[in-house]
Amino acid sequence: MIQVTDITKKFGNVVAVDSVTLNVKEGEVVALLGANGAGKSTLIKCILGLLDYKGKIEIQNRNIKENLKLSKSLIGYVPQDPLFYDMKTVDILHFFGSIRRVDEKRIKSLLSLVGLEDHKHKLSSELSGGMRQRLSFAVGLLSDPPVLILDEPTSNLDANAKGDFLNLVKERKNQGKTVLFSSHRLDEVYFLADRVLFMKSGRVILDEKPQNLANSLGMRAKINLIIPEGSISKAISILTKEGFGSVSRNGSGLYVEVEEGKRIVPFEKLMQARIPITDFTIQESSMETVIKHIEENGY
Amino acid sequence: MDTKNVFLIMRKEAGESLRNRWFILYTLCFSALALLVLLFSTMGGEIAGYSGFGRTAASLINLVLLFVPLIAVITGGISISQERENGTLPYLLSHPINKNEIFVGKFLGILITIWFSILLGFGLAGLGVAIRGGEGEISGYLLTIILSALLAACFLSIGFLVSVYSGKASKAIGISVFLWLFFIILGDLGIMGTTVAMDLGIKQVFVLALLNPAEVFKIASVLVLSPRFEILGPVGVYAVRTFGQQGVFYLLFSIMILWALIPLGYAYLVFTRFRKEEK
Repeated sequence: MIQVTDITKKFGNVVAVDSVTLNVKEGEVVALLGANGAGKSTLIKCILGLLDYKGKIEIQNRNIKENLKLSKSLIGYVPQDPLFYDMKTVDILHFFGSIRRVDEKRIKSLLSLVGLEDHKHKLSSELSGGMRQRLSFAVGLLSDPPVLILDEPTSNLDANAKGDFLNLVKERKNQGKTVLFSSHRLDEVYFLADRVLFMKSGRVILDEKPQNLANSLGMRAKINLIIPEGSISKAISILTKEGFGSVSRNGSGLYVEVEEGKRIVPFEKLMQARIPITDFTIQESSMETVIKHIEENGY
Repeated sequence: MDTKNVFLIMRKEAGESLRNRWFILYTLCFSALALLVLLFSTMGGEIAGYSGFGRTAASLINLVLLFVPLIAVITGGISISQERENGTLPYLLSHPINKNEIFVGKFLGILITIWFSILLGFGLAGLGVAIRGGEGEISGYLLTIILSALLAACFLSIGFLVSVYSGKASKAIGISVFLWLFFIILGDLGIMGTTVAMDLGIKQVFVLALLNPAEVFKIASVLVLSPRFEILGPVGVYAVRTFGQQGVFYLLFSIMILWALIPLGYAYLVFTRFRKEEK
């Protein structure tokens, strides 16, 4: 569906995207991960035809440079920070709807889908960040395009708005849309993506399934186990013997680092040894951890 | 080019301009001053060969010269630069619409709103003249309206050229105001200074005047309103004797059209061909 072949984009002497080749199949959801400045947004802008580039980009087997307008009609784009004209919500949908030649019925159904019916007469500047992002999503869906491109769409949203937004995207995924999205957040990747492309210094350095990402990167979750004072030393000893590399005392409990996918194992081992666990917390691998890992170990 | 998209952008631009408080203020000021001009110009009898519609139009020329280029060049200046600065331009371009459609739609949308304000000012003043039983040729008055509309197109075109090169609206406004000062205020002084300093002949002075669209408008307007072309001074007499009264008018009219088309055409090329990227 989206075929990017040997794309290079330079700003002066700075190489923002460096010989990137990737393929997003029909119905596939692909996440672009990477630190700030890795080239994710630049690559997306190349695919949208906003930037000139060296190489070839095809949407549905059509070179976008030769079929720019048609290519853009196949894409619904949701930017990181949606910037609208200072019009009413419904007028914004009408304006972009007219460009995409959609009818009133479609606009009404989208307002309902994104939950903005009660806010349709508000100016875009009066909408909250979450509402603006939902409006942006509605604009992206106007012509029911087969491809959705989302550029860090949840970066400015609070937890509730983020959850609502991700569910909207997930529904589109289930309907068979092809989605390419950039993100800073691993939880979004696990929730949505079929495949993850990790970008660093303008290059795609990792192409992996999300479930394999943790293992590929050697990522570990940090578990804080609260156990009775008298059992802490014994617990440390058992877990160390079981091969958990990083086990340490932490106040009224202990810390243990566990490979992703094996979080249950320390619980099982301690329960087998009849050591009671009174409470626990899990510190997820963060994007920062992943970036740090790649920066330190390369890939 | 898809005319439906052009019309969409045109309608959006016109709507935004008509809601813009500065544009509303400008239109109100221009209309109020036009009525004031009408009041003063109808107080006496014939002055310098002007009466009724002719005198009102002659008085409005100075008003047009100050106001129309200023609003046109500034509105043109911010037209694209502001969208670029706000980030709305790349977002718009992510939809199936081309840069040429956006450019043409924007230009026409803004031009129509400026024309609307000109028509309102001239219309109110003309209505006042008619109510007071105004005399004189209405054709001169109508031609002055057409020339004013053309002057707006010239300066809007210059404003668009500024806009396509500017990444920020503040920069575009600064350059636009400078250009307005240059053409309107410093234009006359520049011609006078150059004439004295370089000891120019009448022909060269005439050519120098043609390089400024505001001067061209001034000469053309006086020419259509007055049967006595000698009030244009020696340069005017030279021009009329060389090209004939009609010939000079056609020449000036053509030059104004060129002033409207050349900066606009270049701005179009810069926006659609030379500057392909919108980050």
